[in-house]
Amino acid sequence: MAIEAPAGSGRILTGAEVRRDVEERPDVCVVGSGAGGAVAAARLAELGAQVVVLEEGPWHRPSDSTLREEDAYPRLYQERGQRATADLAIAILQGRAVGGSTTVNWTTSFRTPDRVLAHWARVHGVEGLTPEVLAPHFAAVEERLSIHEQPADEVNANNQALWDGAGALGWQRARTRRNVQGCANLGYCGMGCPIGARTSMDQSYLPDAVLRGARVYADARATRLEYKDRRGVAIHAEVLDPATGRPTGRKLVVRPRAVVLAGGAINTPALLLRSRLDISGRVGKRTFLHPVTAVTGLYRKAIEPWSGAPQSVTCHQFADRGPGKVGFFVETAPLHPMLAGMSLGGFGEAHEELASRLPNLSALIALTIDGFLPEERGGEVTVDGDGRVRVAYEVGDAVWEALREGSKAMARIHLAAGAEAAFSSHEETVEMRGEADVARLDRAPWERLRVELFSAHAMGGCAMGRDPDRSVVDSRLKMHGMDNIWVVDGSVFPTSLGVNPQLTIFGLARWAAGQIAPQIR
Amino acid sequence: MFRRRRRPVRVLLPGEKEGRRGFLKKGLLGAALLAAGGGSAWLATRKTRVRPGLRRLQVFDAAQLTVLLAVADRVIPDHPGFPRPADVDLPARVDAVAAMAHPATRVELRRLVTLFESGFGGLFDLSPRLFTDCDGAAQDRRLRGWMNSRIAVRRTGFKALKRLVAAAYYGSPATWKAVGYPGPPVGAELAAPRPPAPAVREEPPPPRPRRFRPAPVGIEPALPAAAGPGTGAASGD
Repeated sequence: MAIEAPAGSGRILTGAEVRRDVEERPDVCVVGSGAGGAVAAARLAELGAQVVVLEEGPWHRPSDSTLREEDAYPRLYQERGQRATADLAIAILQGRAVGGSTTVNWTTSFRTPDRVLAHWARVHGVEGLTPEVLAPHFAAVEERLSIHEQPADEVNANNQALWDGAGALGWQRARTRRNVQGCANLGYCGMGCPIGARTSMDQSYLPDAVLRGARVYADARATRLEYKDRRGVAIHAEVLDPATGRPTGRKLVVRPRAVVLAGGAINTPALLLRSRLDISGRVGKRTFLHPVTAVTGLYRKAIEPWSGAPQSVTCHQFADRGPGKVGFFVETAPLHPMLAGMSLGGFGEAHEELASRLPNLSALIALTIDGFLPEERGGEVTVDGDGRVRVAYEVGDAVWEALREGSKAMARIHLAAGAEAAFSSHEETVEMRGEADVARLDRAPWERLRVELFSAHAMGGCAMGRDPDRSVVDSRLKMHGMDNIWVVDGSVFPTSLGVNPQLTIFGLARWAAGQIAPQIR
Repeated sequence: MFRRRRRPVRVLLPGEKEGRRGFLKKGLLGAALLAAGGGSAWLATRKTRVRPGLRRLQVFDAAQLTVLLAVADRVIPDHPGFPRPADVDLPARVDAVAAMAHPATRVELRRLVTLFESGFGGLFDLSPRLFTDCDGAAQDRRLRGWMNSRIAVRRTGFKALKRLVAAAYYGSPATWKAVGYPGPPVGAELAAPRPPAPAVREEPPPPRPRRFRPAPVGIEPALPAAAGPGTGAASGD
């Protein structure tokens, strides 16, 4: 028998605490507690709305972190750390916890580039979203999350290699801004900060929302959005056992006045498709991933790529490569044994030999900026009969070209920074010991499943825009054709971003909440 | 209307149908792996010699675990300082990784292992020997053949096998020494002093839309540790 939960008692509840079927009737139901959902929830609560947040993932406290990969990936990442495109060509790292990906990301914070907003306005009919409109929201978020540039003396050796190499080549480089406070530079951001020093959503906006009466259900997987005519009327969720991740049999039904979908660029389209709410057939289309490849440098000196803030330096020298080209930007990735073992190319003796040099390895990554060329369609999210989410993504020629040129740039950075050798991410790795070797990348196979690709930035799938035939939500993030459903996460991007996306999502969410609040009825 | 031109290089394995949906939308490992089902009568005539001590676990049976251990032995061959896969209890670890996957993915993984073992790889390469019956050099050739195959779904198969055994192996703390990894920071390093957590920023709340119920402010006391994840009493399905 359903009970109606009492209004106004803000807290975070785990699946273990929900022992009966529950029905909630708040002003707003936010589905997803990551960068979009948490900020929207906090702001809407601040504006006076009664908010319920549903989060599929567990409530992971800093003290729960074991800092072991074998624990962290299954516990804190989508599909137990095994999310990937359907052909396994691109591994997709995406958080799944109270706080979403902000509990496991590498804290890099960029405002949305002006040229991206201009492109969205010009090509995708996004109206009114200008740098000036977003600026106060970025400023508020940056203050709340203590976003600041990483001090020069807290750049680890892995990032110093990027700094030194880009500097020697005369390329643009900068230290990144990070959302941390009291960071001890342990190097384990990706496994859940053990000291709560990252101002991830579970440490910032979700407590803010709770203080204003919001109820956050962890271990609550939204399965269906029920709608009638032009209104979303209920979110149906199943309660999961936090110990096993399996449904307990308890049901949670939220009947809100407004629905905010914030499950991220893969799960939000999936929920809409499962709910058969796809008016223009655009849901799940134009999924962008910033497809990433790595080049690993082998250094004589110790790098210890597992230690220190994972990302503190960035190189945007090649973000804009001119018409017809896909740009890329270069950052670093931390290396711990399990991820290194899975991603180093090939197998056998050579693979072990490189793995055994882990303390001397530095990993650079090139993130390709997909979705800006007219011919780029991106990937597609669909839902299969057996319930699995499918992400199909075919890497286009222009992105392959950027991955190749990005690999050359990374090899040059390593060699300029003093690496003995640089290794491409091919299964048959290309080993480069000098500039003459870099040209060998031109002859290497740039084809799926011959070179390791991954993504930590899923974007698109519910694109915003003016034209309901080409987009899913309008420029105020409300679903075309619906009166009370908004999408507030990275899925609304019409293209990729060209920078790490969390701050853009924070700012958009804070701005969007102000649009949503007056329309709740 | 023109008839759609046939794709030039589209190798169909037995039992595989060209669906109306593109290859990418098919199962994790592609419908080609269903071929293992189609060929099962023939495959059943050849039995993997199970390594002593292996038994059926959650996902894989003893024969499949024998295959995975053999794959691991080639992905991580004997190398100074590296423990043998069997010594880090690789079969149990591999099974635990696979057990986390979606049930349909688990089925595909089992088929993949069986298919890989059989050498039954389609119209080309009808190698008669079981992977586990080959010597090391031949096993490496089979692995490399899949890794570099012209058929994308076989490269997918290789990727799945490699990721599975590499995750299971390098996830084990027993391998950390071999790769020079000291393990995560503990104790004193984590206790380093740090400023208090950020407080809720006080700013005058903007005017509230009138139709809302007032939102009571107040937070429940922290939940007792016993209610946290990992201690839930309810049983799984």
